[in-house]
Amino acid sequence: MIPLHNWDCNCARLGILFLRKGESIHMRDLKNMIKFEDLLLEAHNDLVRQAKEEGKKALGYTCYFMPEVLLNLPGCFSVRLRAPRSASPDMATYYMSGRTCMYGRALMERALEGGFNFLDAQLATETCTVTCRFQEHLQMMPELIDNPDFFCEFTDVPFKKNDISIQHYKDQLQDHVLDVLHDKLGIDISDEAIRKAIEEQNEINRVIREIGEYRKLDNPTITGFEFALCQLVALACPHYLILPMLKETLEDLKTREPDPKPDYRIKVVLAGSENDDPYFVQLIEQCGARVVADRYCYGSLPGRDEIEIREGETALDAVARHYLESSQCTRFMEQHVMRQRKEYLANLVKEYKADGIIIEQMKFCEYWSYERMIDTFVLRRDYGIPVCSIEKEYTNNAVGQLRTRFQAFIESVELKKLQEERGVG
Amino acid sequence: MAEERMVKMSLAEKLGYRKGDLKNFVKYIADDPKQACKDFIYGKEHERRNIGDLYIQPTGLYRHREWRGLKDTLYYFNVIWCYNYGMMVADILSAEKPLRFFQGIWRYRWLGQTYIPVLHWFDRGLEGLRGPALRASAWHYRGMVHATIEQFMRMFARDIRFNGKETELWRKTVLHNETVSGSIFYPFRDGGLVDIPLEMIPYFVTCHVNSNTVLHYIDAIQTLGLPADPCPMCQAEAGVGIMDDYPDSAPCIVTSNEACDASVATSIIQDWFLNRPLYAMPQPMRYDDPLVQKRCQEEIEGAWKFVEEQTGVPFSWESFKKYAELQNEQLYFEREKWDVAARTNNYPINGVAQALYRIYYSQYGWNETWQLLDSRVRKIMENCVANQIDTFPKTRHRVIAWSCAPLYYSNWCTWAYNCWGLNVVINMDSLMFDKDIRTDTYEHALEDLGWYNELAPMRAMAVGGHEHIFKLWDYMEQFNCDMVAMYDQLQCKGMQGIKGMFEDEFRRRGIHAFWLPHALPDKRTVSRKEIRDGISGYMINVMHEEPLDPSLLDFDDDLTW
Amino acid sequence: MKLIFKIIRIFAIVYAALFAVFYFDLDGKLLYYVYEPAMCKHYDNIEGRRNIIDIPYEMKDEI
Repeated sequence: MIPLHNWDCNCARLGILFLRKGESIHMRDLKNMIKFEDLLLEAHNDLVRQAKEEGKKALGYTCYFMPEVLLNLPGCFSVRLRAPRSASPDMATYYMSGRTCMYGRALMERALEGGFNFLDAQLATETCTVTCRFQEHLQMMPELIDNPDFFCEFTDVPFKKNDISIQHYKDQLQDHVLDVLHDKLGIDISDEAIRKAIEEQNEINRVIREIGEYRKLDNPTITGFEFALCQLVALACPHYLILPMLKETLEDLKTREPDPKPDYRIKVVLAGSENDDPYFVQLIEQCGARVVADRYCYGSLPGRDEIEIREGETALDAVARHYLESSQCTRFMEQHVMRQRKEYLANLVKEYKADGIIIEQMKFCEYWSYERMIDTFVLRRDYGIPVCSIEKEYTNNAVGQLRTRFQAFIESVELKKLQEERGVG
Repeated sequence: MAEERMVKMSLAEKLGYRKGDLKNFVKYIADDPKQACKDFIYGKEHERRNIGDLYIQPTGLYRHREWRGLKDTLYYFNVIWCYNYGMMVADILSAEKPLRFFQGIWRYRWLGQTYIPVLHWFDRGLEGLRGPALRASAWHYRGMVHATIEQFMRMFARDIRFNGKETELWRKTVLHNETVSGSIFYPFRDGGLVDIPLEMIPYFVTCHVNSNTVLHYIDAIQTLGLPADPCPMCQAEAGVGIMDDYPDSAPCIVTSNEACDASVATSIIQDWFLNRPLYAMPQPMRYDDPLVQKRCQEEIEGAWKFVEEQTGVPFSWESFKKYAELQNEQLYFEREKWDVAARTNNYPINGVAQALYRIYYSQYGWNETWQLLDSRVRKIMENCVANQIDTFPKTRHRVIAWSCAPLYYSNWCTWAYNCWGLNVVINMDSLMFDKDIRTDTYEHALEDLGWYNELAPMRAMAVGGHEHIFKLWDYMEQFNCDMVAMYDQLQCKGMQGIKGMFEDEFRRRGIHAFWLPHALPDKRTVSRKEIRDGISGYMINVMHEEPLDPSLLDFDDDLTW
Repeated sequence: MKLIFKIIRIFAIVYAALFAVFYFDLDGKLLYYVYEPAMCKHYDNIEGRRNIIDIPYEMKDEI
């Protein structure tokens, strides 16, 4: 089904992607992209239905700190919740007021509409206030999910990355994820089962990472929008069903030729708070930038590294350590970690040969409102990286203003590049 | 509006003179000299007080202070006004470096703009009070003023900005986030360590005393690109830093994730402008999960190790034990107070004094002043109970105030009692830190301190699991309340995110509850008048009640401190 | 005796004056109309504050 309200999306499908005069698309279509777009149009998509029909349990989650790998043990699959095609979340606004992050409210609205009735459980984390509140509503209002066996279980996630925190996190995962899955859904949570899940997770991570590597090319053969589709379907669909398709896409990518003359003017890293909307990435690209790296909630960096089981570690040890150590979330409070986050972003710019960074922040996201402010200063001042700092909503309803901001940013960076090329100080 | 009104006012009006005042006064005496005489000696009855007439609108100043009858007026003048002005000077003179006060007042906006109008803060909080309620509440205020002076004088004595170099005092000091309880530092107090809640005086206190000061800091941080929607408390705390208005008084800081996402985020800014070793001591969000306790304790031990390393002051179990036991005693008295408040009409402390005093002493940790003042309050309270004195005789509804309170209008409950007979018996902030610390073994002490730390403001009942927020219903019953004042902090994501559930529960349980929208320190978002209008609207339209003092229904105090 | 009366008289005058200040909120009016605006002007013009965005943001060791 083509979403009629989303004009940009339709244009993309029809291959009339806001071309500038005299330009044409040279890169051939990438395999599965239209299928991926379809799958992302609703949480309860075809693959989720298929997995449910095959008797698997659907486990919802919202945050990287709920390890995806543990929700993909034999007999269950993970669905990172999204609320695509959200309009005004009126009912959710009654419950959560209009002054909270719209991501949380959109999820709540979708739940109220019955859009998450396929869930068998929600594995929740209190990692940011509003998603926590949304998930608490799932706990408090049994009528919200039309499934008598549905349950919602919370995990406490530490704010530091030290050994105490890793042990704490591991205890939490054991008690609030594994034991619960075993007791309530009969899932096998043995070390062996977790090891197998890690292998499968590593495989999907490897594929996504390999796809993402093509963004590092001088002239990338994959657009940010296409990559966002790949990353998001991996989060929103059962792994065992989406993996073959992602592999096909990867294979196809290997022989894809780039445009002889790039259709973008600059390359950017997109960083910031929650973003599960590929059309937001597309919007940036329509303005003339190529998004080459995605460091935001639902993005692939740094979440697609392989989980390594070190000597002497149990599989769960490895999972707890991996998810805590690899995260670049702004809720970490250790001094060296707070500061290192900026360096990480600067390194991404270098690694992906980007010309600048766009820092986006979901309106009402408190973590990122501060992080965005300081990133805007530090990245520019200490690393000399041009920064475009924007505030956005969950739905792209301020497209005009955002487009203007992006265009102005791209022009300024382009101008700077030209001046540098010509040796103008 | 209010500013325009001010510009148009003549000097006489600014000073509170109104044409016909004298004539009316003479007429009042001539009409009924006996009544006038009675009013002079005993004060007017509640319904004839017309407190609203005393204001010079929109400044909040008084044309003249309230005449509370001979005894209470003289008490107010001698034991509150003169005594507190005098003691403020005495507190400064007895501090480590008294002359630093003048340097501080010259350098720091938060001090100069706030410290001087302190007595007006008393006036606003104690308006309309009589007898034991006036006395006991005023002692609580005195305690807060003393602790405030002690803290800022300590900051100035150590301030590198004034000393020109790092001193021994500076080295033996640790800063901590205002939401980290002073009790964490008990093991070092006898070793000479001073712990200073960084934002408590520059931010928190200023909002109560002079609500104008903080606006400057909020604006400052927003000019750097911070959006206006995060919690304004955290914005203001960051703003003080951005304006370089924190004294440089310690080599290191212990920070916390309490209360919310914005507090975590504020640490990023604090880290930047302090540029000093920072130890994060976060409290687990799902704090009552048995599994998280050990980690919470290990974090506290980590903080102790950090303090030892940074300041050279060794950990002392004896010191911890001593102060923890004194703190327990203080908590026993607090519980006695709650018991009196819950079961009788003899509780002599009004809503604002109860809430602020509890927050102040919990955050500072134990201190001799609290002990001294508590003994005075105990005497007053015991006398009230023994003689069955109805301390708030015009009470129509016993109210519990829930969620986070407006700092710029913490005295709303004084107004609510005077205008509507709404007696705020207890509030959410008061009920936190309700945990004894066992001192028989180190392990017990640490376990209890972990819990104590987790029961901090906001973690226990605002952000940290809905189960705790809904303890409201139990407390309502326990304190025998028939009404809820539901604070609606517009920028608190935790409370905003669960608003509908409260509405549903109020309806389901048939509870009378009014919402009190506010923006914590920022009076520009929701003015005091708008807060009052909301309450009055509820009382008139839903409760169908008449005000006790109609002069308090509609007045403009937009430009007040 | 005369001295005592004198002291009492002075005390009474000071007491009455203070009471007038108290009762007519003269302390509040002075602070509100004179002191606070003057001090705010002063604070707005303080020079030599560190510019916070000039403070370095180098990496720190793990604590």
